[in-house]
Amino acid sequence: MNKVYHTLKTIFLLGWSIFVVFPFLWALTTSFKDANAITSGATYIPWVDFEPSSQGWTSLFTTGSQGINIIGPFIDSAVVTLIASLVSLILGTLAAYGLSRFEYRLGFVKNSDITFFFISQRIMPPIVLAIPFFLMLKELGALDTIFGLVLVYIALLLPIAVWVMTDFFSGIPKELDEMAMTDGCSPIGAFFRVILPNSVPGLVVAGMFCLIFGWNDFFFAFTLTFTETQLLPVSIVSLNSSVTPWWSLSAFALISVAPLACVAVIVERYMSRGTMSGAIR
Amino acid sequence: MAKIVLENLGHSYLADPKGEHDFALKPVNLTWQDGKTYALLGPSGCGKTTMLNIISGLVAPSHGRLLFDGKDVTNIPTSERNIAQVFQFPVIYSTKTVRQNLAFPLECRGVSPSRIRQRVAEVATLLDLDYALDMPARKLSADQKQLISLGRGLVREDVSAILLDEPLTVIDPQMKFMLRRKLREINRQTGVTMILVTHDQSEAMSFADEIVVMKDGLLQQSGTPEELFSRPQNDFVGYFIGSPPMNMINLDVRQGTLATDALSLTQPSPSESNALLYQLGIRPEHISLVDQTAENVGVGTIKKIEHLGVDGIVTLELAANVVIKAKTRKHTAMSVGTTMGINVCQDDALLYLDGRLAT
Repeated sequence: MNKVYHTLKTIFLLGWSIFVVFPFLWALTTSFKDANAITSGATYIPWVDFEPSSQGWTSLFTTGSQGINIIGPFIDSAVVTLIASLVSLILGTLAAYGLSRFEYRLGFVKNSDITFFFISQRIMPPIVLAIPFFLMLKELGALDTIFGLVLVYIALLLPIAVWVMTDFFSGIPKELDEMAMTDGCSPIGAFFRVILPNSVPGLVVAGMFCLIFGWNDFFFAFTLTFTETQLLPVSIVSLNSSVTPWWSLSAFALISVAPLACVAVIVERYMSRGTMSGAIR
Repeated sequence: MAKIVLENLGHSYLADPKGEHDFALKPVNLTWQDGKTYALLGPSGCGKTTMLNIISGLVAPSHGRLLFDGKDVTNIPTSERNIAQVFQFPVIYSTKTVRQNLAFPLECRGVSPSRIRQRVAEVATLLDLDYALDMPARKLSADQKQLISLGRGLVREDVSAILLDEPLTVIDPQMKFMLRRKLREINRQTGVTMILVTHDQSEAMSFADEIVVMKDGLLQQSGTPEELFSRPQNDFVGYFIGSPPMNMINLDVRQGTLATDALSLTQPSPSESNALLYQLGIRPEHISLVDQTAENVGVGTIKKIEHLGVDGIVTLELAANVVIKAKTRKHTAMSVGTTMGINVCQDDALLYLDGRLAT
């Protein structure tokens, strides 16, 4: 019975892995094909099935009719995502700690209402927010700038950071703060010297979410920029013309996935390790 | 080290307490001498932890003052009170090693590194944690983690007091016994005041120089274990301290004396008393069972015998359906259904008026 289960599990996981990895394999092979190889059906093995060409990759670093230079958008995307994620993570962590440890009351508004207020920012579909954001950035003169996008992304990412970190801090026993205070820390000292070092897994999860949502956002990057600033997702779409350059698109897609994949590999051990498990009990 | 004085100290979690029942801790006056061991004893939800948190500063009292060595600390933040607290569940800095855990309170106070090293080494020796100093603290067992918590208090030579909030709850019974003895030893060696919160009377009795019994936020009695045992101030203390609890036998007023059909013990009726309930309180340990024919103050039929190793608890039914329990070592020679004579020394039979010890 156990052996049957084990075999079935292995088969299922193997099948699922292929299912997940396949698009990447497809993109990888396609990025090395030229127009002829692409139209001649599904082929996967270079030199045997098709003659590899580096055209897809080189076109991404040349300007003009042969392709577009993606280095600019890549840096823009990285700057916007990193700054917005960092600011959201810092503000969100501080807000979440306050919400999980202190009681606030403003008329009928209590802690849970404030938390809900943060999360409610993500209830509306992006299309509803696009016009107000557009008008506000226009007033600020921040349309089509990195600064404007950073502002918008902070507004989008902060709820995620607050939400994840509030949940995480609620799981850290209050006794840990109390102990730090009896040991001679001020409340803010307790946060920085004791709670924060214990919060690495939560920070990693919240940071991952911020990076993923920030990096992958297309809608706001598309509606709030024109020519001066262009983020990666938008420039991918702009590659598309009368003849779809599948080779360039594939290479581009792989490049834009790479940073998040690298981050995921690096932080994976923090996400799976229950660092808090020893703090209490 | 400090003498801790609670001056009319009370706390209500409500913003506007209406009556007595709104108080988690009803106003209380207490003095805790420097260097002694104290136990706060009472059932769950009686205000013990509230009192402890007020002393450590985690809760600000709504009424009264708290003094450390005569200095008003009521509004001083926790970090400046120099208090150590050991919680019910072992709480440690899980990202730090044992050494870093012990050093942390000193680091917070800006003590020099060489002094920190010296103090940590001393305390580790005291707690028998030398070998574990460089291990990650989260790898240790529950009782060792509690020792680390204690150690974080002990490294500060001037710590005002160490507060222990039911620290032995999650410890295995065998380790519990050793840890309790260890606590006593450390108190004797270092002279640090320790205040233990517990609902376990044997823990309180064996640990503390003085026990404070609480119920429903109200101080019931404070005194040495012997005092609490021999002269409980009210029926609750009689019930809560001692196992089995004190026998309470109702008395009737008969021509100026208080008497019962069950026992031939009488008490002079208090001249000026309008109490509704007169009771005679007798500890099961103070009842001796003798042969029916011997001199006695009453007879009873054995209903049940419980064996507790050396001792046994004998349940007897007396005249007028009064049921009492007696603790004896001769229970092995007795059997259910036989009638025994009962002897109680007059001094061991205490009179209670409406549940309060008559003075």
